Amino acid sequence: MRLRLRLALTVVAVTVPVVAGLSLFQRSLRLSSQEEVLEATTLAQMQAGERERCEASPESWTVRRGPPPRDWPRGGAEGDRGPPGGVESGSPPPRGSSGDRGAFAENGPPPPRGPSGDRGGFDDRGPPPGGGPGRSGRAPPHIVHFPYDDRLVSRNPAAPVLDEELQRDARSGRGVVVRRSTLEGRPVLDVLLRMPWDGGPCAYVLARRIASPDAPIEGLPPPEVLLVPLLAVVAVLVAVGPVIRRVRQLTGEVRASAVSRYQQPVSVRGNDEVAELARAFQEAGAEIQSQLSQQEAREQALRDFLANTMHDVMTPLTVLQGHLSTMQQQAGRGEGMEPGVMTSAMGEAHYIASLVHNLAAAARLEAGAPQVQRAPVDLNAVIARVLGRHQPIARRKKVSLVSGVPEAPVIVNGDVTLIEQAVSNVVFNGIHHGREDGHVAVVLESTRQGRFHLRVIDDGPGIPEEERSRLLERSFRGNAARTRGVEGQGLGLHITHHVAQVHGWTLTLSPSEYGGLEVGMEGEMSGG
Amino acid sequence: MGERILLVEDDAQLGAQIVEHLRGAGFEPTWWREGRLLTSEGMPEVSLVVLDLMLPGTYGLDMLKALRTFSEVPVLILSARNDTLDKVRALKLGADDYMTKPFWPEELIERVRARLRRPMLQKVDAAVELGPLRVDLQTREVSVQGQLVELTRVEFALLAALARRPREAVTRQWLVEHVLDPEREGTERTLDVHVSRLRRKLGALHGVETVWGVGYRLVPGDGS
Repeated sequence: MRLRLRLALTVVAVTVPVVAGLSLFQRSLRLSSQEEVLEATTLAQMQAGERERCEASPESWTVRRGPPPRDWPRGGAEGDRGPPGGVESGSPPPRGSSGDRGAFAENGPPPPRGPSGDRGGFDDRGPPPGGGPGRSGRAPPHIVHFPYDDRLVSRNPAAPVLDEELQRDARSGRGVVVRRSTLEGRPVLDVLLRMPWDGGPCAYVLARRIASPDAPIEGLPPPEVLLVPLLAVVAVLVAVGPVIRRVRQLTGEVRASAVSRYQQPVSVRGNDEVAELARAFQEAGAEIQSQLSQQEAREQALRDFLANTMHDVMTPLTVLQGHLSTMQQQAGRGEGMEPGVMTSAMGEAHYIASLVHNLAAAARLEAGAPQVQRAPVDLNAVIARVLGRHQPIARRKKVSLVSGVPEAPVIVNGDVTLIEQAVSNVVFNGIHHGREDGHVAVVLESTRQGRFHLRVIDDGPGIPEEERSRLLERSFRGNAARTRGVEGQGLGLHITHHVAQVHGWTLTLSPSEYGGLEVGMEGEMSGG
Repeated sequence: MGERILLVEDDAQLGAQIVEHLRGAGFEPTWWREGRLLTSEGMPEVSLVVLDLMLPGTYGLDMLKALRTFSEVPVLILSARNDTLDKVRALKLGADDYMTKPFWPEELIERVRARLRRPMLQKVDAAVELGPLRVDLQTREVSVQGQLVELTRVEFALLAALARRPREAVTRQWLVEHVLDPEREGTERTLDVHVSRLRRKLGALHGVETVWGVGYRLVPGDGS
């Protein structure tokens, strides 16, 4: 749903119940004030002389009210009876009144539209006290009065017969009984008053108020009130216009930025929520861009990995195939296996495995730090696994491969695969370049200062000093670094160096006390 | 018959090789060619599980997770991918060890043996018997073929240190730091002197072996 429509509906949903509630409240106020006014005026009029008139002729009495019409003879001099007294004195009923409903004498000038309905007895009583024909030009309501005696029987033949419930309520001691009903679609308010005197034909007076036919329908708010929701909707639509324009502008910019792979900035100015949203989009775009470039770096690393793998693995695989072929031919000729060929074949397979692991490690290291997964690593277990992996080939090459680790596990925080590969490479080199009947020892020690010291010692040919520093400096990206050969250290040592760097360890190459090489790794142990 | 081992490996050739090597090493392997969701009822009675991670059916780590809800049997993970996350997750889920492919069959057998041996190592024994040698760590009595051998305090400490971790190499540095008195000539040369005296006292079947580049270890002595 569009924002404008949603807002408009929300405004309607909020204002309509508010207006309805206020209208209901207003209506209930109006109704109760009608009752009070009718009760108070009737009582006041009865006490101001109408009682005597009523008791004098209860069958035709009606309240005298307002100034007498000019065309009527003043009857004041003849007695207390006022102009409507004409009815009481037998004069013909006024216009609009049927003869048999004489009791409904006219209280004022006739209504402008003549008799209202067939009940001519419902005479208008003239303009309300406020003067004028009502605020909206509508005719005022009729008010008629009927006297009842103690038994609630009226001598006025036109008086309505009171129903039993009304009678019961009146007799129950309540001074005022109110009833609402409708008469020919017009709301009628009956107020039955007990007069402050006992007995007589006018012990009770029923004041009946009949709304004029063109009175507004009860309960409906005036039309101007109904305009409030509409005005509110218009106000909201006008107010949200600029906001929506800004949101549309932002949408366009975000789309354009997405098309440009988040290089084009999102630039909605200002200090409001829309500008804040724009800034959030800008930050999200930067994050996506950074992730995209990392992704590209990873893909590039993968492509390099594949290319390097193809290059590096094919040669030893070819050698391995050659050895296997030789072995098959020897077996075909019924000759015994030549141990040298078999050991060499195993060595090639071992080399290939080590190479692939190294290429994988190189790809991860080149892809950057997020690829290094840190977790507690048990170095004792790492050494056990590395020795297990290299023991078979060491045995066949008659190289003694041993280890010594502390009884308590040495735990470091790091990437277990990379650490294992780093140790594995040094051990592999020791075996690969070692002499027959030589030794490779892996020694792990922990200090009281919370550091570990891992040494891989061999008694092989060792590496001259100038070569040692060069080995660590060389980037493993270079092809020369992967040169395979008896004297070359291959890719392994560079990966070891890089892994040590990533973990903040120091890697040292030095001559061992046994004449070969000692590779040392030193670093912090994990808190555990 | 040897101990029963459950192997879960989908690759036919590798599975067959592993089964063959396990049999050759005296174990009794049961081979599942696909992952299954493990329940305590469906789990065979085995001493160890060798579990591949990349499996058809149920993924290896899910099997491990299910297994750990009802069993503490040692699990050795075979990881085809050399992926740290997989390894760390496997160890956190309760795997005891893992091996990355490719591996030598001998390595696998060694790993299986080491895993099955571990509970025995964890037993705290007052006395260690290794071949003809018996070292009582509580009464501090040492005998070779039943004959008591008198040792000095340092010699006994040296032998006890090695006997606590039989067959494992203990570094010379550790022995110097923990056995010799640092106040008095705590050097590796002194250590070697004590070792040679100890060997002489224990006789031809001493079992105290020099480990090249590392230090010493105690093995069942054969007098060689």
